[in-house]
Amino acid sequence: MIFSSVFFVYVFLPIVLLAYFLVPRKFKNLVILIASLIFYAWGEPIYVVLMVFSIVYNYITGIEIEYHRSEGQKRRARTVFWIAVAVNLSVLGFFKYYGFLLQNLNRILPVDIPYRALPLPIGISFYTFQTLSYVIDVYKGNVAVQKNLIYFGTYISMFPQLIAGPIVRYADVEQQLANRRESFSKIGNGIAWFLRGVGKKVLLANNIGMAYDAIAALPNQDVSVLTAWIGCAAYTFQIYFDFSGYSDMAIGLGKMFGFDFIKNFDYPYTSSSITEFWRRWHMSLGTWFREYVYIPLGGNRVSKGKNIRNIFVVWMLTGLWHGAAWNFIFWGLYYGVLLFLEKYLLKDVLERLPGFVKHIYTMVFVMLGWVFFFSPSMGSAFRYIGRMFGIGAHGLVDATAVYYLYNYILLFVVLILCSVPYTYRKFTRFMLQKKSYCGIAVALYVVMFVLSTAYLVNATYNPFLYFRF
Amino acid sequence: MALGKRRKKSERQREARQWWEEFYSRLVKIFVVILGITVLVNIIKRDSSFSEAENRMLAGRPELTWESVKSGKYMSEFESYVSDQFFMRNQWITLKLYQDKLIGKRESNGVYLGKKGYLMEVPNDPDWENVERNVKEISAFAKRNSDITTYMCLVPNASYILKDKMPYGAPARDQAKDIRKVHNMAGDAVKKIDVTAALQKHAKEDIYYKTDHHWTSLGAYYAFEKLAAELKISNPESDYNVYTVADDFQGTLASKSGYHRSKDIVQVYEPKKQNKEYVVMYVEEGEKSTSIYDRESLKEKDKYTVFFGGNHARIDISTTQKARKNLLLFKDSYANCMVQFLLPYYQNIVIIDPRYFYESVDNIIESYSITDILFLYNVDTFLGDNSIADVLADD
Repeated sequence: MIFSSVFFVYVFLPIVLLAYFLVPRKFKNLVILIASLIFYAWGEPIYVVLMVFSIVYNYITGIEIEYHRSEGQKRRARTVFWIAVAVNLSVLGFFKYYGFLLQNLNRILPVDIPYRALPLPIGISFYTFQTLSYVIDVYKGNVAVQKNLIYFGTYISMFPQLIAGPIVRYADVEQQLANRRESFSKIGNGIAWFLRGVGKKVLLANNIGMAYDAIAALPNQDVSVLTAWIGCAAYTFQIYFDFSGYSDMAIGLGKMFGFDFIKNFDYPYTSSSITEFWRRWHMSLGTWFREYVYIPLGGNRVSKGKNIRNIFVVWMLTGLWHGAAWNFIFWGLYYGVLLFLEKYLLKDVLERLPGFVKHIYTMVFVMLGWVFFFSPSMGSAFRYIGRMFGIGAHGLVDATAVYYLYNYILLFVVLILCSVPYTYRKFTRFMLQKKSYCGIAVALYVVMFVLSTAYLVNATYNPFLYFRF
Repeated sequence: MALGKRRKKSERQREARQWWEEFYSRLVKIFVVILGITVLVNIIKRDSSFSEAENRMLAGRPELTWESVKSGKYMSEFESYVSDQFFMRNQWITLKLYQDKLIGKRESNGVYLGKKGYLMEVPNDPDWENVERNVKEISAFAKRNSDITTYMCLVPNASYILKDKMPYGAPARDQAKDIRKVHNMAGDAVKKIDVTAALQKHAKEDIYYKTDHHWTSLGAYYAFEKLAAELKISNPESDYNVYTVADDFQGTLASKSGYHRSKDIVQVYEPKKQNKEYVVMYVEEGEKSTSIYDRESLKEKDKYTVFFGGNHARIDISTTQKARKNLLLFKDSYANCMVQFLLPYYQNIVIIDPRYFYESVDNIIESYSITDILFLYNVDTFLGDNSIADVLADD
């Protein structure tokens, strides 16, 4: 089930909200747990078993680690801990990377092992990382063990952030699981987040996604330099508004149930360096890798050589986390290299550059990065980048490019306005001037909701073309 | 002074806090009201089973069984059900189209929103392997029947012929190039008839429907002029009674795109002089008719089906023509409105639509003493077809 569907907004959510606010406090987590399992099973009726296994197994692991430690059996605690890490990563690895691994083994070894790539359980990359954050923090003694299975299950399976994050660390919600207070203001804030997220996803991301799809479907020899850049820009906006819209919806839903999740995006496209970009993009993932990989490896408090190793380990894993393909590994390492360069070589150079140059530099490399993200293979990625710089392109500008520019120029303007903090700040400041503007602000949110609903309903617009042939 | 400033600041903060509280509380109320009303209306509203605009059955409430839940079928069907039965569905869809238009889109669901109310289908990318397989079989078929002349005529689509009605710069396949490519594949055994120029010459006229992916009878007539010469039809008729049989036709492209802004007229052509008597036999259906036109179809949404009532696996037409010319026509729906022009010059016309026909065509050639074979397709369908080769295969 996805948030941006008629079913979620107008059936699932009302039922869950109603149930949540009707039951007494001690059952509220149970309502979320049940809702989450239904939510997950809705799209993955079989894999929900995996989710339940993950909940029960890690719940027991936490208690086991705690028990061994309290008995002073440090080594046993460590064994249990590493087994748990191995089990969680193996489950992820099996479902996500098994096909990829065998495909490459078959390629380099003189064998042909038959395999069947399994469909990926939705959200497994997200919830595995959440589980690991719990197991690691319990082992390190950073958080207390969770003895309430329902609370623990609620944390792992919580439907608002189950399938696309943000990756909430257990430490961040430990307190909230037991005591949290829903308030009118918080629910309202949650609704505002949710509606903004829906708008971002449905009105912005999906619409610009059509431009990307159309351009990606063009025969290669018909793509001019400008078309290639428009296509890449379209994807750049699509992935941001899609992902951050989804995160906003998650944060909003969380707030409706009294949770506060950390924000996941902070206007990443306004960054003036790659380092800054990664502080603003998918922040919960960055935090996770920093906390649980980079720092345990020694972070930057080690020799330069080790620090460089740490950077590349983290970025290769970051790439791999995004998908089981060489594209993603390359994409991760690409950022590893850029960050390494910025840290050790370009730091002084960058600082002296004027702001807009830094910004252009950042965006160009971010956009080139996305090419590896959206291309089906490394070869096609390089060919696409080639076309962006005139190699194998259909001229600099052609009629097709003008067509797409003309079609989407207005949307691009809106997208740019929504990518910078200025617009929202200006909007808020204007609205705050008068009490009476409050109604206007509410009305605008309602309009956005209505406009989004039109797209949601239209998602199943599926005319039967009687004499199609 | 400093105190005053600070007080002013805290005053402002208090006001801002009040504003937000007011905003949030109003938002909660209106959100609850909207969700509540929507849920209630959707529950109360009676399910409709058919959508006129989309011309399809809407999803109904799925049946709850263990099997369907386990496979996930129940869930996906339930989602379709909720979406299909959403209150005021058509109005929501219209609202979506207005938004698209507002942000400047010139394309909707694979349809270009052209100038002067023209809707034009975005041509599909061909699967050339399949095309090659089909053309090879056509060519082999022509060689097998070398005593009969095999013709091939591929009709370009509106997006190619009506270039000046397309949104500026909109990408469209160079169908002249596609046709050349197919012609080269076909070799010498097949005689090719290219009607591109004939259509381009009349691009200013209504040779394609505005709201439908077919050509009009007028378009077919201009192509017929060219065809007649190639098919060696002596003295083709040039004088017709033209009857307008519908003036409110909104075709597939209107449905597909959702834009119902123009209406088309449907016309049929009757030769003034060489009018022949004939019998139409729908072989598979076992039905006979004395007209190639289906009056009932004009009451339906799909008014192009006035020609033969749509596509059929096999149609045999026998006329009172004395000359022993018998035509075997392989075709898609573009040919349906061409038959009215071809009819007077053949004693028998056997029309095969390979998409629905699974029998042997060799018998037909023999029993009807076929003298001419014609493959008549529009380019888009031909390049996407995957049925021709199987029907022609020598077995």
